[in-house]
Formats: sequence, C-alpha cells, structure tokens
Amino acid sequence: MVTEERVFNKNILIAVDDSDNSRRAVSYVAQMLGGVGGFKVAVLHVLAEAEEDYFSTTEEKEKWFSQYAKKVGAMLENYRQILLQAGFDPKDVSVRSPVRYCPSMAECILAERDTTQYHTLVVGRQGLSRSEEFLFGSVSSKIVNHAKNCTVWVVE
Amino acid sequence: MASRWLPKGDGLPHFRIHTDTTEFFGVEYGDIVVLDGVPFLIRHNAKEGRFGLDDEVKFWVKRAIDLRNGDRKFIKMVFHEKFMAHVGSLAFECFRSPGKEARILDLVATHKNFMHGYSVKDEKGNIIRIIDLISGIPLSRHVQQIEADHQDYYHGQFPAILDQFVACIEAIRFLHDHGEKHGDIRRDHIFIDRDTGDYRWIDFDFNYRHRENIYGYDLFGLGNVLIFLAGKGDILIQDLIEQKHPAVGTLGQDDVGIIFNNRIVNLQKIFPYVSDSLNRILMHFSKGANWFYENTAQLLDDLGAFRQSLTIPS
Repeated sequence: MVTEERVFNKNILIAVDDSDNSRRAVSYVAQMLGGVGGFKVAVLHVLAEAEEDYFSTTEEKEKWFSQYAKKVGAMLENYRQILLQAGFDPKDVSVRSPVRYCPSMAECILAERDTTQYHTLVVGRQGLSRSEEFLFGSVSSKIVNHAKNCTVWVVE
Repeated sequence: MASRWLPKGDGLPHFRIHTDTTEFFGVEYGDIVVLDGVPFLIRHNAKEGRFGLDDEVKFWVKRAIDLRNGDRKFIKMVFHEKFMAHVGSLAFECFRSPGKEARILDLVATHKNFMHGYSVKDEKGNIIRIIDLISGIPLSRHVQQIEADHQDYYHGQFPAILDQFVACIEAIRFLHDHGEKHGDIRRDHIFIDRDTGDYRWIDFDFNYRHRENIYGYDLFGLGNVLIFLAGKGDILIQDLIEQKHPAVGTLGQDDVGIIFNNRIVNLQKIFPYVSDSLNRILMHFSKGANWFYENTAQLLDDLGAFRQSLTIPS
C-alpha cells in the first residue's frame, strides 16, 4: 500500500525558559541551521498567568507579573540575538510570549504549537532526577508523550 | 450571652471585641470576634502534633463557640505564610492560601469526605474560615491503635479501611476535576467521623507552586497514606535491621520509597501474603518505579481491580 508522503515545513518553534537547558536548545538550533537559509524560527515562552492564591493582594500580583513579563522580554531578545549571530536572517526569527492559564506548561506549549504552523518543536531537557520527575513532572517528557502533528527535538 | 461559657467569678466579665483579625496574636482566650454580625467566643489556640513531636500551636487557628447556638467551631484567620518545604532531598515553595481554602469549602459543602464550613470577611477584608468540628480521631491514630498483628489486620480490618480510603481518593479526584489541589495530604489530615464513620479530609489552606504536574504532590501524599495503611504503619529499614528481620538481606534499593528512602514500599518482601496486585500499586511509589501515576483516576482504577480480588470480611 502506498501512503501519501507528508510534507513538513521548515518552521521551527523553540520553547524556552531562563534555564541553561533552554539556552542549549537555542544554541543547538543556531549551530545546526544558522546560515542555511529557508528556515523560520520562533522562540516561544508562554507567560503563565500569575497564581491568584500566591499573592495576598491584586497589586502584589500585578507587580509580580509586570516584572516577570519584562524579564521574559529581555530573555527572548537575548535568545533572538544568539540566532541572528549564527547567521539567521532577522526576518526569519521571531519571538512570542502569549499569556495563558497554565496548569501544565507542556500542554500550553503544545496548544501554542497547534495554533501555529510549526512542524518542528524544540525543547531543552531539564535533566531531572527520578524523584524530581515523580514529584514535579517533566515538561519535556510530557511534550514528547503528548505531541501530535509535529516532530519534537529534545536537546540534551 | 457569652458569660454562660465562662467560669463563674466575681462580677461581670469584661470582653474584648474584635471585628478586625489582622493581628491574630492579639485575639486571645475569652475575647469575642464578631464576623458578619455573628459573635464567636474565642477559646484556645488550635494545636497540631505529628510523628510524636510536641503539638505545634497554630496561633491563627482558634477554637471558638458560636454564641447564637453554642456550636463549637474552628476559626481560621489569615496567615500569609510562605516557606520552602523539604521532602526528602527535594525543596519547593509552599504558602498558605485562605482564598483557596474558602473556595474548596464552598465546593465541598455537601461532600461527605471533607470537613465542612464557610468563609466570611472581617471588616478589613481578611478571609476567615469558620470550620465545623469533626468528632473523631485522625486515621493515623486509628490504625496505630489496632492491636492485631499485621496478617490479621491485612485480612481483617484493612479491606474496610481501604474502602474508606478509596472514597477519600475519589474525593481528591473531585477536587482535581475542579482544578483544585488539597496541598497537604497526610495520614493525620484524614479524620474518622465518629458519628457517620466517614473518612474526611481536613485543612486545605496549604498550597504549593507546582511545576509540570500540578497534582504531583497530592499523588505523592496519597501514595504515602496508602503504603502506611497497607503496612499498618511505616516499615522502616532501621527497625527491620534492629529486629534482625529475615527479609533484610533481600531488600534492594528499588524496594524503598522514591522520596523517603528509609521506608519500605515493597511490602510483599516483609509480608509475603500481601497480594501481587496491591504490591504492584505500591511499587509505583518506589525508587524502582519506571512509571508513575499521573492522576488519581489511574490509581483508582488499579485499586478498584485489587479491591475486587479481596474477600470482603464477614
């Protein structure tokens, strides 16, 4: 039986936070594809809505979120520069930081991917211990287990 | 109104009346707190003991009497505590959340497996929770008071205890289905209601900053309680060594808890009559596990299958 070959686009979504493993994921894409041409890269950080319960006042929550969003903006710009320095054309590199209610960051990242046309999703591996994975869960493991309609690169 | 609850003395007592509970240390025995027009006579601070340690005084939780009808209550005032919790070698950020507990009290108002109460704001907007007392003892104490040896307990009392605990896990699933965590699942946070026999969760004001698995810490707690119930207490490596237990030589590093490495999870090695299906469930919480429960539904499915295999004691 002959099945129709699926066509993959060259759009790559890198899901990041401020960790070393995220930086490694960005560097990996920069080194592998910088200067090659034809690829479009988006660097994504989902801004998780502030947990209502954590703050004693609304003002405290809004202040925290404003600082968080500012920090994320600087982080994404930093990652964008890594890609540009590796030879990506500025028009092929974008950053995204949508705000979402995120009980699960992995599900939020996958939901973002579903709304975009990126056939490759790149994440860094946190390198959690077994006990940490048990207690806290792993974003990259969950993405690998639950991703549909895309290829996942997990950068060690 | 309040004097009938106080010892008889000379003359009329003088009451301090509070409508603002922000400074809860200043709310003392014999004071009156008025919340939404309802007067409560404050009695002692609540205490909580654990693992044989002296009871810890919870200054923000007061025993009280509703002066309209004499009902005994706990009044939980606002204490915005934030701290790093350490579980085994892991640390994570925890905090108390009065708003969370108030939401859950509304959610579980008619649920038999939770404590009941309501919330009200004092004049400064502090969310005060007014909790009904449960007559009974913690599950941990009940199990420790059972005098049977393990084998008699396992075949005798354990099935009924497990049924009640399964109802408690169903109750936690109910919370999770509504986007809420319990936050502090412990063996002494289940009270056995003396009037109804129901097992009831208490204390939902703890919260933690979750990472990927929002309910991971709750599941960890459920596993700990289940292992405790199945073992009729904690089975500690140190105790087995001291007892020169014949199973000591057979124990490996996969047989202990994934977080608490001094507790035996592979109970079948200590109690060979523990069924395979129960032991498999317990082993999901062991250091040797290659797959963890991600939600309460998975745990309940497995426990349901095990429970069906047990003979119901007559």
